[in-house]
Amino acid sequence: MALAPRRSVLSLHGVTLAERHFSTRPAHLDLELPRGEVALVQVEDESDAATLVDLCLGLSDPVGGNVRFLGVDWQSSTPRDRFARRRRIGAVVQTDVWPSHLTVLESVLVAHLYHFKQPRAEVIADATELARLFGLPGLPVGRRETTPQRALVRAACVRGFLGSPDLIVVQDQVLDQSPDLAVPMAQAISAARDRGATVLWITASLAAQAAQFVQANHELRLGDHGLVQVRRLR
Amino acid sequence: MSVQAERYALRPWPRRALARIGAATIAGTSRLLLFVSFATTVAIAAFRREAWRVPVWVEFKRVLHGVAVRSLPTAIVTGGLMAFALVTQAIYWLAQTGTQGLVGPVIVIVLIRELVPILVGLIVFGRSGTATLIELGEAHPRGWMRLFEIQGLDPLALLVLPRAVAFALGSFCLGTILLASTLLGSYLLAYGLELIAYSFWDFADLVQRSMKVQDFIVPPIKCIVIGYLVALTCCSTGLARRDDSDELQRLVPRGFVRSALAILLVNTMFDLVV
Repeated sequence: MALAPRRSVLSLHGVTLAERHFSTRPAHLDLELPRGEVALVQVEDESDAATLVDLCLGLSDPVGGNVRFLGVDWQSSTPRDRFARRRRIGAVVQTDVWPSHLTVLESVLVAHLYHFKQPRAEVIADATELARLFGLPGLPVGRRETTPQRALVRAACVRGFLGSPDLIVVQDQVLDQSPDLAVPMAQAISAARDRGATVLWITASLAAQAAQFVQANHELRLGDHGLVQVRRLR
Repeated sequence: MSVQAERYALRPWPRRALARIGAATIAGTSRLLLFVSFATTVAIAAFRREAWRVPVWVEFKRVLHGVAVRSLPTAIVTGGLMAFALVTQAIYWLAQTGTQGLVGPVIVIVLIRELVPILVGLIVFGRSGTATLIELGEAHPRGWMRLFEIQGLDPLALLVLPRAVAFALGSFCLGTILLASTLLGSYLLAYGLELIAYSFWDFADLVQRSMKVQDFIVPPIKCIVIGYLVALTCCSTGLARRDDSDELQRLVPRGFVRSALAILLVNTMFDLVV
């Protein structure tokens, strides 16, 4: 009996990345990420990386092609649907960005408490466990200004991995430059993958030490010819 | 110069002037309509149960505490100062002309219907509106608006809705406190200066007898609407700041002008309609 094909969690079909900073040529992207797979994508330019994140998360629409999350084209969703669908995505992005009116703890919990009806104590317990995995004694409770940069980066990781997202997107250059996060990131990704989550890590370099222990199914590089398969040197 | 601008430049000056007036009118009207639709959307969302998720409640309580509790001393002091003005002007001159019987109607018309809602609006803007302007003015430039969108957090539900409802409720509370402190202060002052000789209960009775049924309904609603619109003005002005080229220092004066206009506009509309 033939096995049913695994439904893609994230798929990019003929997506045109038009406005690129360091290239005059638009890139055409094709990517299929089934459940439980990990992709490492090298995108040298941070602006291109942010554009790719926006496309994958339905924050902006591609000039050409389509981006599907769990089989549904972002473009066919209303803005309200898009907000609701993003509850199934965890994002480790903008590790230096924290809302000024919330404490770091509240910022970490806010998305989960907003989308799901899990009791606050349970969410805090899950977040604390993740914080320990990332090398923190617990969750930082202060404001952004009074929290060390090192703790903020780790709290951002907790923010992205908290809950059971179907897709986890990682993109941050500060994170790439944190070699001491290599082991916890690999462990967190492995745990997420075992749960069935798909991980897309967009990094400035595939040689980034933070990603060195990640077992990836796809190792790609964004160039003028789109996403091309590359082999990572370890 | 754009093609459209070149086309306008070729026209005689009366047509150019008319075109400018027309363009400004269209822009102003569309901005007003946008604001009305924004206010309506938030009002509808406020009555939807699913909009009140846990973080929205937490934010609502935080903002309400800021509006109603932390502004309490300001409201009481303002009430005291208003009492002084009321005694030195209204009650004093009524006593001089031997028409103390008009104390009730004067207080009802001047204080309850007009002054309290306007002052509440200004207090709410000064104490909490400016904080909202600065908080939300940093949402886009500091990047946390994008973060909210990535996390699927609707800014309307999480940022605007709790502020709008908290400002509206807080304004009602502050209006009550302001009114009570002004009435009590003006009575004590007038009694102390021997301008009036009757008891506080007679004074309260005089004021209440001068009030009509709508005076128990309209001023509280006016306070609520003013608080609601001040919140929406501050939220929309703050969130409209896209990057650092729009300086944060210019945001507060802009928000003040818009809020003051909203307060006076609501006051006038209520006076005209009711």
